[in-house]
Amino acid sequence: MTVLPYGVEQRRGIPMRRLLAHRELAVALILAITVIAVSIINHDFLSLGNFRDILIKVAPSAIVGCGLTFVILTGEIDISVGSLMGFLAVLLGLLTSPDYAHLPVSLSILIVLAAGTFIGFINGLLITFGRVPSIIMTLGMLTALRGATKVLIRVYANDRWIGNLPDTLRFLGTGSILGVPVSVLTALIILILCALAAAYTPLGRRIYAVGSNTHAATLAGLSPNRIKLFAFTLTGFLTAIATMVSVPQLSVIDSDIGVGFELLVVTAVVVGGTSISGGKGTILGTLLGVILLGTVRTVLTFLKLGTDATYWERAIQGGFILLAVLADQLAKRDRSEDE
Amino acid sequence: MSSDPLVQIRNISKSFGGVHALSGVSFPIQKAEIHALCGENGAGKSTLIKILSGSVTPDTGEILIGGQPLTTGAVRASEQAGIAVIHQESVAFPHLSAFDNIFVGREPKRFGKFFLDRPRMRRETRALLERLGESFDPRKPLADLTVAQRQMVGIARALSQDCRLLIMDEPTASLSSRETQVLFRIIRQLQSDGVSILYVSHRLDEVFELSQNVTIFRDGKHVSTTPTNQLTTETLIKQMVGRDLLEADSSFSDSASGALSTPPLLQVRNLTRLGTFENISLDVHAGEIVGLSGLVGAGRSELARAIFGADAYDGGSILVKGSPLPPHSIHAAIEAGLALVPEDRQHLGLVLPMSVGANLSMTVLHSLTSAGMTSGRKEAPIVRQLMADLQVKAASPKVAANTLSGGNQQKLVLGKWLATKPRILILDEPTRGVDVGAKAEFHRLIRNLAAQGVAVLVISSDLPEILALSHRILVMRQGQLAGELPRERATQESILSLAIPGGAAA
Repeated sequence: MTVLPYGVEQRRGIPMRRLLAHRELAVALILAITVIAVSIINHDFLSLGNFRDILIKVAPSAIVGCGLTFVILTGEIDISVGSLMGFLAVLLGLLTSPDYAHLPVSLSILIVLAAGTFIGFINGLLITFGRVPSIIMTLGMLTALRGATKVLIRVYANDRWIGNLPDTLRFLGTGSILGVPVSVLTALIILILCALAAAYTPLGRRIYAVGSNTHAATLAGLSPNRIKLFAFTLTGFLTAIATMVSVPQLSVIDSDIGVGFELLVVTAVVVGGTSISGGKGTILGTLLGVILLGTVRTVLTFLKLGTDATYWERAIQGGFILLAVLADQLAKRDRSEDE
Repeated sequence: MSSDPLVQIRNISKSFGGVHALSGVSFPIQKAEIHALCGENGAGKSTLIKILSGSVTPDTGEILIGGQPLTTGAVRASEQAGIAVIHQESVAFPHLSAFDNIFVGREPKRFGKFFLDRPRMRRETRALLERLGESFDPRKPLADLTVAQRQMVGIARALSQDCRLLIMDEPTASLSSRETQVLFRIIRQLQSDGVSILYVSHRLDEVFELSQNVTIFRDGKHVSTTPTNQLTTETLIKQMVGRDLLEADSSFSDSASGALSTPPLLQVRNLTRLGTFENISLDVHAGEIVGLSGLVGAGRSELARAIFGADAYDGGSILVKGSPLPPHSIHAAIEAGLALVPEDRQHLGLVLPMSVGANLSMTVLHSLTSAGMTSGRKEAPIVRQLMADLQVKAASPKVAANTLSGGNQQKLVLGKWLATKPRILILDEPTRGVDVGAKAEFHRLIRNLAAQGVAVLVISSDLPEILALSHRILVMRQGQLAGELPRERATQESILSLAIPGGAAA
């Protein structure tokens, strides 16, 4: 299956520059080096169980990463996904828990999916037809949703946390089908669907077109606003899905779920080669970016840094995103010098 | 030709904010003809292209395609009627492959309506490129193709939608002569396949080589539609220029007559910026107004930017009072007494939401500032003086710049630079979009400055303006200095024939 014909550029020149242009290859290489190096230091790292753990951990970022890849491809950004996940998690808990609303799980899932989709739609609507810059719009949404989450917890859960989730919901987080965890399976299906959509559907082509040259897209009779609106709505929907398969893994739901999640996903997408200015990138790249960041997190745990691990993880994440954007700019400069 | 015309343009008018871009234009385009559209900058050619392609809605008038009225203002409707445009700068998607560029917006689908029919896209692309005689890899992103290849992709896109009218806007602007010949072959082939072509070009030699009919626009009005073989270069230019010479030298001062004996204040020597302008040498003396004429894209604004240090250059030197100016340093240029009043005042000239006073004092803020605080007491008299000198019509220095009329905004841009008391002033299209009265005031101001010993370089596409202001006129053509005309010998015709590729030799 060719998932990466786009954004792959045929460039001559020194290998380093070529590597910069073939981001998927570069990320895969860094990933391989990391895994090999850590395996040599600690033989336990290369176990099937550990591999499975990493996949479970990265599944939610992979799911949301698909939506965010489309958003960034159109030249926009969405930093509200972490807060949205937190909000939806508390909503899901309140709806399903026998201590609170105790609605049927299926109905609760529908409500959470609708809520996520609706918030994504509102983001998109105000950004496109309301002309609010996406960074400002989603920054506002990030703050508003985090506040709303705290209010929900305070009013309904007496400022504590929600435990006691029904087993059917637990299954989404911890169960497996044919030995594959539900969350990993879900992520896989969504990744494949999105990769197919990106490469093989008119919609996918139009997302690239809008990000590549909005003016030309309009002249070609496309509606950039509608395409962007779709990308934001999809991201809201996928965030709801990611909430559903990850939150039930936790023993309790509090108001801090998803803090920093948006940075993790944006970093993964950009590290995976999606250009922050739009028009270039692949779902495969995003998957590799997500796995790389997930592996780094596990590696840090293996290095037994204790609480320092979290700080190191942030530092490395920040370093990655700067490197990725720098590599992008270098590749771009390389190109303009050629012309 | 006895058959009905393919396109009938009837009484089309369009204004933008009170400026008439097109007024009552009517002409036909025959089936399978190459129809050239000529006119000076601002004659309304681009507006007509936008109306035909559906991205601009006309105020009045109608367009018939094959006898059927076209729904105006809709890109899709124009596309379906068989109108396609190859834009000057290939407007396309640099990150997408050639075949995606060809089909984006109307992709062939299979398996219901959700999937691209890639095999069909590949098949059709290959057939289209073959028809155009091209053999590059259509999977390559557009950014990796040459300009000529990108243009072929644009033409292939047009062909794939069964276009009946292909509009080409300055298609040869960035092509080599070999690539141009290839393009001409394809244009003729399309013609013999029954496609009509509206060919918009400044290059008269191309117009004569290709077209059967020529339509000429001037100031938004239709001047004539004539069979090409009944025209000569001279008659064509005359019709493009048309208007009478207004107020040529009524208030002309001869302050520069003595200036030429003094050494030049600004000397440009063999200045080259690759791909933009080449080997430009010019002098401007104190008290002298030098006009720089040429067509849009001849490299005039770019030259001005390089002189002012806004852009880097690849060769040559700039001397002010005989001492060299360091390249690519606006700071050094300002220190040396240069000022550039840019063409695009909305984007480059003013901070529109800020006050008139703040805009005027912007260039001299450092001299009004002590201990990090700007002195309002020092600022006020300077602003008042400038507003009086320039006769800026504003209620007070405190009103926002964007509340002023276009002409008054233009005065602010000029005033902002006059505050620095420049010795060399470069003006890029100083009166574009300004009404006649304000224009005359501007000309008076510019002459006064020259009389006070400022060396002035004026870039203008407005030929009467260049003729009215300049002591000497330099003409640029395709990045080179095509010639110099002393004001006694300069006429609109002599300037245009230097400016137009295929016109007179330098």
